[in-house]
Amino acid sequence: MKPVTFVLRLVLVIAALLVVLPLVWTLLNAFKTNADLLVSTPKLIFTPVWDNMEYVLNRRSVARALVNSLVICGWAVVLGAVLGVPAAYVIARVKNRITQEAQFFALSLRFLPPVAVAIPMMVIWLGLGLYDSRVALIITYMTITVSITIWLSIPAFERVPLAIEEAARVDRLGPYATFFRIALPVAKLQVLSAIAFSFILVWNEFLLAMMLTTSRAKTLPIIASEMSQLGMSVPWGILNAAVVLLSLPPLILLALVGAGLNSAFSAKTSQE
Amino acid sequence: MATVECSGLRKCYGSHEVIRDFNLSIADHEFVVFLGPSGCGKSTLLRMIAGLEDITGGDLLIGGTRVNDNDPGERGIAMVFQNYALYPHMSVRQNITFALERAGDSKERIAKRLAPVVESLGLDVYLDRKPTELSGGQQQRVAIARAMIKTPEVFLFDEPLSNLDAKLRGHLRVEIARLHKTLKSTSIYVTHDQLEAMTLADRIVLMYQGRIEQMGTPEEIYSRPATLFAAGFIGTPNMNFITFTVQEGRLRDGTLDLPAPEGVTGHVTLGIRPGAVEVLDAPAHDAIPAVVERDEFHGETRLVALTCGVQGLMAAIPAARKLHEGQNLFIRFPSQSLHYFNTDTGRRL
Ligand SMILES: Nc1ncnc2c1ncn2[C@@H]1O[C@H](COP(=O)(O)OP(=O)(O)OP(=O)(O)O)[C@@H](O)[C@H]1O
Ligand SMILES: [Mg+2]
Repeated sequence: MKPVTFVLRLVLVIAALLVVLPLVWTLLNAFKTNADLLVSTPKLIFTPVWDNMEYVLNRRSVARALVNSLVICGWAVVLGAVLGVPAAYVIARVKNRITQEAQFFALSLRFLPPVAVAIPMMVIWLGLGLYDSRVALIITYMTITVSITIWLSIPAFERVPLAIEEAARVDRLGPYATFFRIALPVAKLQVLSAIAFSFILVWNEFLLAMMLTTSRAKTLPIIASEMSQLGMSVPWGILNAAVVLLSLPPLILLALVGAGLNSAFSAKTSQE
Repeated sequence: MATVECSGLRKCYGSHEVIRDFNLSIADHEFVVFLGPSGCGKSTLLRMIAGLEDITGGDLLIGGTRVNDNDPGERGIAMVFQNYALYPHMSVRQNITFALERAGDSKERIAKRLAPVVESLGLDVYLDRKPTELSGGQQQRVAIARAMIKTPEVFLFDEPLSNLDAKLRGHLRVEIARLHKTLKSTSIYVTHDQLEAMTLADRIVLMYQGRIEQMGTPEEIYSRPATLFAAGFIGTPNMNFITFTVQEGRLRDGTLDLPAPEGVTGHVTLGIRPGAVEVLDAPAHDAIPAVVERDEFHGETRLVALTCGVQGLMAAIPAARKLHEGQNLFIRFPSQSLHYFNTDTGRRL
C-alpha cells in the first residue's frame, strides 16, 4: 500500500470511528446497570440487563408517545408523499413561471426558523380548539414532509429521460398512466429516499412538538428529553435506552432504503 | 398503411419560426428520408407528425384524416427514438409488448405477435434482460421491435442509428431496409447522414432552415442538385465550386476561361464532383494546366488537391495512380458532369 493511500485510509477509519463509537457506546450503556455505568474506567465486558429498556417501555408516557410519534409521523409522511410526489412531477415536467414559483415556495417553507412557524401555528390550533392534538401536529408536520418530498423528488423526476415519456405517449399512455406506470417506477428509489428523509426529519422534530403539545399528543423526542429532567441524579441507563428506542425506526428505515439502493446498483451485475 | 400529407405546416417557438409553409405528400408504402444539417428542423417536423410537438399552423393528414389535434397514440404511428427511449424498469419482453397490453390484447394474441417480431430482429435470447444489460445496437433493435409489433400505419425514425458505431450502423441500416421491404409500412426517417439517406430512401426530402431545399429520389438529387446547398450537402467528397463572371459569353475568373451555357449573365458558380474531374498527364483539347498540392490516400481512391490558376479544387483518381506534390498536369471537365448555378440566388441554371 502506498503511504498516501495508507494515510487516507487512516483518516477514513478515524472519521468512521468518530461517528460510530458514540452510537455503540449509547447502545452498550442502554443495557448496563447503574453500577456498571458509573465507574471511572468504562466497562466493555459486563452482564447486559434489560431493566432500562423495560423501564422505558413500561412507562405509560413512553408507550403513548411512541404511538403518537408513529401515528403523527406516519400520517404526515404519507400525506406529504401523496401531495408532494405528484407536485414534484409536475414541477419537474412543466416548466413555467407558476411551477418555478411553486418550487421555490416549497423550499422557502424550510427557510423560516421553526420558532417563527411554531408560534403562529400555536395560535391557530388554540383558536381552532385543536391544540395538543395529533391532527394539529400531523398538519403542521405536513409542511415539512411536503416541502422536503417535493424538493428532493424534483431532481428524481428530472432525471427520467423525456424521450421515455414520449415513447409512452406514443404507446397510448395518458398523463396519469405515464406518471404511475413510467415516471414513478423509474424514479422510484430516489423518491423513496426523499420520503424516508422526510420521515426522519419529522421523527426527530423537537421544537414544534414541544410548543404544540402539552400532554395528549406528546411525541417521543419530547418524552426522551423529559427523562433527563427526572431528578438530580441523571438516570443514564434509562436515558440511553430511550435514545436507542428513538433511533431505531430511522435506522431501520435507512437500512431498508439502503438495501433498496444497493440492489438497484447491483442489479446489472447480478444477472451476468 | 397510410398516406401522410402536410399542407402549409408551420411551427413557431415563441416568435421564432422554425418550420415555414411545409408542403409534402407521402404515398402509401413510401420510405421518405428527411435529410439536412443540424438545426434545420427535421426532428421538429417529425415530432409534429408524431404528435409530440404542437402544430402552429397548417394541416397534417394521416390516411386522409386530419390529425392535428390527435394524441400520438391515436395517430396510428410508431416511433423509434435516437436514444432508444426504452422503459428501463421493464424487461425487453415487457418493453415490446407494453403497448399491446395497454390496448387490452389477450395473452395468446400478444405471444403470437411477439414471436415473429422477436425472430426477425434476433432478440430471442435477450427477452428477459433489462435494457441496461444490452448494447446500444441491441437496445435499438428492441426499440424497433417495440415499434413493429404495433403494426403502425406510419413508422417514424428520428436518427435511430446516430448513437451507434459505424459498423453497427451499417448492419442496422440493412436491417431497416429489409424490414421495410417485408412490412411495406409508410416510413419517415430523419437523419443527417447522407449515406443512410441515399441507401434507404425512396425519396429524399432535403431540408435547410425549415424549408424543403429539394425533393427527389437519391439519384435525382445526386445527379441534378437544384441548388448550391443541395450540391454541396450531397456527395462525399464534396463537390468543387468555382465562381466565375460571365463576360462575352465565356466564364472567366482571371485565369480560367471556359465556355458558358446559353443565355447566362452575371455571376455563375460551376460545380463539379471530384470524381468527374479528368486528370491527364499530357495537354489535350480543352484541358487546363494544374499543379498537385496535396495527395490524400483514401483506400480505393486517392483525393488530390490541385491548383489551377487562382482556384483550388479536388479530384478523385484511382489509388493505383501515383502523383507527387508539385507535379504539373492537365485537367478536363467533361461537359455532362458540370453543374451551373446562379451565384446570387443559388439556383441551378
Ligand atoms: N423547444 C424549443 N424552443 C425553441 N427553439 C427550439 C426548440 N426545439 C428546437 N428549436 C429550434 O428549432 C430548430 C430546429 O430544431 P430541430 O431539433 O428540429 O433540428 P434538427 O434538424 O433535428 O437538428 P439535429 O440534426 O441537430 O437533430 C433549431 O434551430 C432549434 O434551435
Ligand atoms: Mg434532430
